[in-house]
Amino acid sequence: MFNIVEDTQKTREDTRKTWEKIADYFRANSIWMKWYCTGCGAMEMPPTMTSRFDMEQLGMGPMATPRQADVLLITGYLSAKTLRRVIYSYEQMQDPKYVIGFGSCTLNGGIYFDSYATMTRLDHYIPVDLYIAGCMPRPEAIMNAFDTLIAMIKKGEAKGWKHYQDNYEWYNANQIHSLKEVRVKDEFHE
Amino acid sequence: MNSMNSIVDDLKGKFDIINVVFPDDMQMAVDVDKNDVHTVLSYLKTIGYKQLSLMSGVDWIKENEFEVVFIVFNWDNGIHILLRTRLDRENPVFRTITGIYPGAQYYERDIHEFFGIEFEGNPMSYKDLFLELWDEMPPMRKDFDPLAYSQDKFPERKYESQFIPEVGVIK
Repeated sequence: MFNIVEDTQKTREDTRKTWEKIADYFRANSIWMKWYCTGCGAMEMPPTMTSRFDMEQLGMGPMATPRQADVLLITGYLSAKTLRRVIYSYEQMQDPKYVIGFGSCTLNGGIYFDSYATMTRLDHYIPVDLYIAGCMPRPEAIMNAFDTLIAMIKKGEAKGWKHYQDNYEWYNANQIHSLKEVRVKDEFHE
Repeated sequence: MNSMNSIVDDLKGKFDIINVVFPDDMQMAVDVDKNDVHTVLSYLKTIGYKQLSLMSGVDWIKENEFEVVFIVFNWDNGIHILLRTRLDRENPVFRTITGIYPGAQYYERDIHEFFGIEFEGNPMSYKDLFLELWDEMPPMRKDFDPLAYSQDKFPERKYESQFIPEVGVIK
């Protein structure tokens, strides 16, 4: 009896993995991207999206709202005030979701490493699947990163969103340590 | 330059002007006592300086003083007047100018947040503008240490090797 239960669970697990692989194949070929214009990096996005480099050749498109997007691109430095809104946007996105950290500011703070207002590393607060180094990365580097992300999704390596679910306490503790409170309370929300 | 000189003579005849300098063509900087600021500003507004282009603060920590700077602009003759006044650093209190220039509302909130200067008569100036849930000394004061704050609040990425000497020097 015990063996049968175990076998059924194993079969279920295998089935789930197979379906996940099939899903990953389709996810990789249709990616909608939301880019959060926090810093100067947003300037590199228009040539990437338009005819010069043409992001759509990879099957990617820009999306206006986080609820309908698959990829969140954090373009440049993040202030404490912006990080609260980024966490809001990230939590609004539906699984599976992927995050790309853009430029050296999201990696290690960049030239704002000693600022009282900006984060020094993004992966402390939300899971980052891929970083693009540089200040600023050129559109060629961005296209290269999108290629890598697509390959990662096809192989099933882009699992940041699962890591966030499994380690939510750790991420939340970091968010509270740096921001005190993630909840946004400004005059537009009164 | 003639129109500039006539404005200087006009102001000197009416108010106690501490000092006047001319940083550039069509620009002049006027130092006044903090009690004269409101009368000077309202007079300037009546003679055509209708736009408050900027209002900002400066921390002169060695002299133990704060400076508040107002830049007003006249669209008819294109002259900028920079009005400066000094406040005591221990008790930085200043009367609001939102009655003269309503657009100063956000500048006063900004200065209150970054320098801790209080604006009497403007209850809105106590609200957060850029820094949310700030609990430290106002960050634009010169004795605030941003690096220590950043290291305390925002953990840094640790690298195994900081610098590779062979690669560092490119000849």
